[in-house]
Amino acid sequence: MSAAENHGPKNIVIWAYLVVLAIVSVLVSRVLPPPIDMVVVIGLSIAKAVLVLTYFMHLRSENMFIHSLFYVPLALVVILFFGFMPDINHWLY
Amino acid sequence: MDSAAGSRPETMEVPFPAAKLGMWWFLASEIMVFGGALASFILLRLVGQEWAGDIEHNNVLLGSINTLILLTSSFTIVEVMAAQKAGDEDKFGKYMKVTIGLGVLFLVIKGVEYSTHIHEGLLPDKSMFWAFYFGMTGLHALHVIAGIIANISLLVVVSKPGGLKRFGHRAEYCGLYWHFVDVVWIFLFPLLYLG
Repeated sequence: MSAAENHGPKNIVIWAYLVVLAIVSVLVSRVLPPPIDMVVVIGLSIAKAVLVLTYFMHLRSENMFIHSLFYVPLALVVILFFGFMPDINHWLY
Repeated sequence: MDSAAGSRPETMEVPFPAAKLGMWWFLASEIMVFGGALASFILLRLVGQEWAGDIEHNNVLLGSINTLILLTSSFTIVEVMAAQKAGDEDKFGKYMKVTIGLGVLFLVIKGVEYSTHIHEGLLPDKSMFWAFYFGMTGLHALHVIAGIIANISLLVVVSKPGGLKRFGHRAEYCGLYWHFVDVVWIFLFPLLYLG
């Protein structure tokens, strides 16, 4: 285990955070009105994903090449999403 | 005697195992597959206002339980990796069996949901939402099955004498895959159940 992996919260603590965020997501979807609820829920999902990627997959302690394998396709997906946005606007109006 | 132009290195040194590189390459392709599907779903959801009625048919309780199952299995497979690093074969086996069991439980609950939907006539051709639902959760379930098979295979080879020392490091690669399956569900659940 690398030095970066040795430091940081224990795995059980991260699991607890994930469970709490999951429960909060469900409660938020019941309490907040749309579309605010989905914005908050997606934000919480991103937070959960970051916790898994950082502490369980140890992405933070990997080298830049591994980082690029994660961030480049992610960037392509984001470009795809916004690239198709004009077509959606065409449908909306 | 080889010229400088014709010589080849005996080895290509990389700062990490080739298997780890291979797994991250694979996960990069999976980001494109699931990311593309999720992006398409979100875009169409923005114009598919009638989808709110379809989402009501999904059981939030079962989806939430499945979310907790996968989150817990992510924790247990991290403990598998910790056991491998500590050389603890008993702990390795125990946590891997729990991980596999949780994966199977996830599929059982998914099967219950699918049978309920099919019984209600909610099939992929019913609407765009259900096409996405069955497509994305079905693809995700196939990945869960593949992960379970990989984990079982690793458990079998590690359980043999000297297996942990020879093959235990593969837990990291199985773990990376399993965590990715969990991350995909982290996004599928709110979009398909809470939206």
